[in-house]
Amino acid sequence: MDPEQVDEFVMGYLKKKGFNSAAKQLQEALHHNNGGTFNSTDYHNDPELTKLIRSFSQSENDPTRYRDGYSKLRSWAYNSLDLYKHELLRVMYPVFIHCYMDLVGKGHTREARAFFNSFRKDHEMIHLRDLQKLEGVLVPSHLEEMEFARSLRQSKVNIKICQYSYDLLLQYLHRTESTLMLGIINEHINFQVYSGQPNSSSDDIDAVTIVGSFQETADHINQKEIQWGLLEDSLEDRLEKTGSLLSDSEKGQGESKDGDVDDSKKRSNEIGKQGSSLKKLKKDKAGNATAKVARQETSIVSPAPRVKPELALPVMSTDVEESILEDLRNRVQLSSVAMPSVSFYTFVNTHNGLNCASISHDGSLVAGGFSDSSIKVWNMAKIGQAGSGALQGESDTNDQNVGPNGRRNYTLLLGHSGPVYSATFSPPGDFVLSSSADTTIRLWSTQLNANLVCYKGHNYPVWDVQFSPFGHYFASCSHDRTARIWSMDRVQPLRIMAGHLSDVDVSVSLTIVRCVQWHPNCNYIATGSSDKTVRLWDVQTGECVRIFIGHRSMVLSLAMSPDGRYMASGDEDGTIMMWDLSTARCITPLMGHNSCVWSLSYSGEGSLLASGSADCTVKLWDVTSSTKLTKAEEKNGNTNRLRSLRTFPTKSTPVHALRFSRRNLLFAAGALSKPAS
Amino acid sequence: MGIVPKETIEVTAQSIGITNLSPEAALMLAPDVEYRVREIMQEAIKCMRHSKRTTLTASDVDGALNLRSLEPSYGFASGGPFRFRKAIGHQDLFYTDDREVDFKDVIESPLPKAPLDAGVVCHWLAIEGVQPAIPENATLEVIRAPADNKIYEHKDGPLIDVRLPVKHVLSRELQLYFQKIAELTVSKSSPALFKKALVSLASDSGLHPLVPYFTNFIADEVSRGLNDFLLLFNLMHVVRSLLQNPHIHIEPYLHQLMPSIVTCLVSRKLGNRFADNHWELRDFTANLVSLICKRFGNTYITLQSRLTKTLVNAFLDPKKALTQHYGAIQGLSALGHTVVRLLILSNLEPYLSLLEPELDAEKQKNQMKSYEAWRVYGALLRAAGLCIHDRLKVFPNLPSPSPSFLHKGKGKIINAEPRKRKLSADSSENQPPHKRLITTDGPDVLRPHDHTGPAPMHVDKPIGNYNLPQNSAQPSSSEQASDGESRNGKEKERGKSRAITMKAILGQIWKDDLDSGRLLVKLQQLYGDRILPFIPSTEMSVFL
Repeated sequence: MDPEQVDEFVMGYLKKKGFNSAAKQLQEALHHNNGGTFNSTDYHNDPELTKLIRSFSQSENDPTRYRDGYSKLRSWAYNSLDLYKHELLRVMYPVFIHCYMDLVGKGHTREARAFFNSFRKDHEMIHLRDLQKLEGVLVPSHLEEMEFARSLRQSKVNIKICQYSYDLLLQYLHRTESTLMLGIINEHINFQVYSGQPNSSSDDIDAVTIVGSFQETADHINQKEIQWGLLEDSLEDRLEKTGSLLSDSEKGQGESKDGDVDDSKKRSNEIGKQGSSLKKLKKDKAGNATAKVARQETSIVSPAPRVKPELALPVMSTDVEESILEDLRNRVQLSSVAMPSVSFYTFVNTHNGLNCASISHDGSLVAGGFSDSSIKVWNMAKIGQAGSGALQGESDTNDQNVGPNGRRNYTLLLGHSGPVYSATFSPPGDFVLSSSADTTIRLWSTQLNANLVCYKGHNYPVWDVQFSPFGHYFASCSHDRTARIWSMDRVQPLRIMAGHLSDVDVSVSLTIVRCVQWHPNCNYIATGSSDKTVRLWDVQTGECVRIFIGHRSMVLSLAMSPDGRYMASGDEDGTIMMWDLSTARCITPLMGHNSCVWSLSYSGEGSLLASGSADCTVKLWDVTSSTKLTKAEEKNGNTNRLRSLRTFPTKSTPVHALRFSRRNLLFAAGALSKPAS
Repeated sequence: MGIVPKETIEVTAQSIGITNLSPEAALMLAPDVEYRVREIMQEAIKCMRHSKRTTLTASDVDGALNLRSLEPSYGFASGGPFRFRKAIGHQDLFYTDDREVDFKDVIESPLPKAPLDAGVVCHWLAIEGVQPAIPENATLEVIRAPADNKIYEHKDGPLIDVRLPVKHVLSRELQLYFQKIAELTVSKSSPALFKKALVSLASDSGLHPLVPYFTNFIADEVSRGLNDFLLLFNLMHVVRSLLQNPHIHIEPYLHQLMPSIVTCLVSRKLGNRFADNHWELRDFTANLVSLICKRFGNTYITLQSRLTKTLVNAFLDPKKALTQHYGAIQGLSALGHTVVRLLILSNLEPYLSLLEPELDAEKQKNQMKSYEAWRVYGALLRAAGLCIHDRLKVFPNLPSPSPSFLHKGKGKIINAEPRKRKLSADSSENQPPHKRLITTDGPDVLRPHDHTGPAPMHVDKPIGNYNLPQNSAQPSSSEQASDGESRNGKEKERGKSRAITMKAILGQIWKDDLDSGRLLVKLQQLYGDRILPFIPSTEMSVFL
């Protein structure tokens, strides 16, 4: 092909595309070079080329091309060989959303909407929430404005595909000359071709989340080393060392089962010590035997490594230490056959105002954060002592709320100027932290019933705040896309965890942080976000060390297993995922809830996981058996499901908070919500 | 296009005083408005999630507006979520039910109660993995047992009825089938086709969905067409076919069907023409009733008692027409001999005395009335006869008597029979059905002649024998008395030979015999010889 012809084609193409100034310049340049007049272009000489150019020009102008191309590709994919179908169908979703965004970007709003609606059904099952977001994008400027759309546009999707499927796809695209689809696929999809047979279709967690090259970053981040072990010289350690020295009769007292949950620990201990009947001794021995067995098992299964704390941890007073040790000694060993007792605190007459609930570590204090900016703290131990009416129905609450002196029986903490979104007790129960929509975090003393400190730092509502397992430090997360670490004695945060990685994609995808949780060794915190990911941050360096991808909707709750090896996260759809911290892999998704999982809690020795949900149930899951199974089946590549042990339905009370006490009594709290009549 | 049409933008613009908004501007604004609204709602949902709720409230939207540093929308905050109503005639248009409240009402109404303060109550959700059955744990068990629920009703407000309306879909084919059958039943034009339809109704499977419609149809037509004899007859045939169909589970609909059936049995007037043979209809229906009672009496315990109550009321009410009495008697007699014995025979005497004047041709001038009376009399006679027949069937197998005895019996029957025939014939010349009754009994009576069969007459002997010599010496028939004697002798003779076996059996049935004997005697008193042919011969062989 001689260069003159090429110039002509370029000329024609520029004109078609509407780059008039460029065309003019080119023309002038040609004029200048040739010195002759520019012939009217005639590119009918080469039929191949004209066709190609035609197709180019058509594709630019005609919005129906997207629809035709996509529907052809779709029907081809659906009719493809069963073995490769799921891989090919995986390609459809990115093509779909990019077709849509292309249409929007070119201003064909109506066609874009029609296109979207006609194929929406295909992807609704897996990508419903993304689709809902994208649905609102109607004009080109929205594409720029919306982070989700922008990140999609800027990144490529990684799709694992086997060699044969890849060849099939390419063959199809070339044979049908669907340049448009080819263009989109080239532009936005990054194929990772592997040889051999296609993977089983169940293993498509990667396909669920489209976060572009973000996956790579995540993989990169997840290479980092973390020390997930427990702190050395922790109380558990000490207990284990001393455990063999203690005599049988002193241990394994178990929870007092006579109904006075509200009594403080010490009191029940006294009762236990006093009542030393033969029967009880027998029971104790039996309980102790099982405890021993269980302890041996755990020590075989997971010799959790010990690590040094990176933070200067507060020194515990001996009193507190003693009581904790006592609790640990009296812990009931739970397993799939030994179920815990569940004590439920029901908030009544909240008038839809209860935003959050929190239970102290020993279950004696209950705090509620309300939308009218108030925090109310109930001392259940006192209520339990005042009258036996604690277990009576709602009709009695009138009398209960108003104490014998005509005063209310809770402590009212006023100070916030916006709905209170979170409250947390310090481990000994002497402080309460609360976070609010007024962007502040406040520290309250439960002894003085007064506000001590107001921590200002966040710029947007603070969604969640959590004390570290040893107190003193606390972490908060906010709508301003940061999580911060604070210590009680400073009004400025110690660390700010934000999207400070150089990679833009990550910072973009780090949207609002939903919830925060401390690792038991205090060296890490985990944050759950509305970008459907969970991240693990190093407290000392402030770096993100793990990214957990797999949730299909926003993450609402987090829990760390006591041995620090596993993490559970619950999302808006009711799915709970168990993660292995060291590999950042999802061990098993737990399906069962059908509404938001508000709260998660591991039992004291980590054998059970409790989950509380908006569907008014508390569910217990077996952790140990499933993790063991996973190890066995890991080689087979099977993902097994954690066993759901029990479901406890409440009486139309969504479960807001859960806490296993150190003695493995499960406390749950929620606001009674009457069904709309 | 989007959710927000450009008209909305124009209207909104006008409402805030912008009158010269160009259509292009509205067109441009519309998608942007939609995007912004979606954005706000997305934020509001986040606020809702953090308030740990699953229903969006106005305060969530306010929170979202706050996050965007926008002025919140005042005046919508409320404790609970809004209640939306669907606008009639629109698919997805909703509005809040915002009633206008009169100021005066608000001022004059007493102060509402102060809302209760928040509180916490504690209970055991589970004890070592088991949920205790306490009021706080409203669990599945409580829902299952409604009795428990009542206790808490006052606490939790009215319970929601869990039952949902069930949509009943009837296929096109079934609808056509129903229409066709209904048409045939009402039209009465082609009996052949109707018969086929009845066969289909009685045998086809898959008709169950139509049962409620048929029940309704029958009830409607019966109440409407009491004057239409043929229609009623057709309807009863339909009922019969439905009952016969093994694929239909008709029991739940019986309570709806029964009134119609009973109407056809005991109504004062069925059909409006003289020629209508409503007696036949009543007989047919009586059979139907007995069929129902036999099939469902066990499962539907109150059925028979309710039915007999209705019938007895009709029977014993002297103000009711004779036709009604007839129906009631037929119905009762169809229900079996115990019913007859208990309800008809016990009332037989007073009733017959009532009926007597009607039967008398001289006293009752009205031919029609007299005819009806004879009808009723026939029915009574038949009922009593059948009752006695069934009674006697239960007798144990007794050793057969000697041939001479047989001879004797035979002779007697032959005596008795012509007489009775004569009697019935001349007493009611114009009663073909009565005659029919008698003639049907004829073969039984005649059976002894062609041998195997024994003398029917003799049944009353063993009955009578224990109490008879004195009691049964009735003035009505001298032969009877003599017969009794002779039989008595025979019995003694037999008793000697078989004393051992007899004793036990006789002892057992002594009481029954006594009752039956009394009954028979009484019947004989009341009916005279007319009862005799009803004493069936089948068990005669038993005695011979």
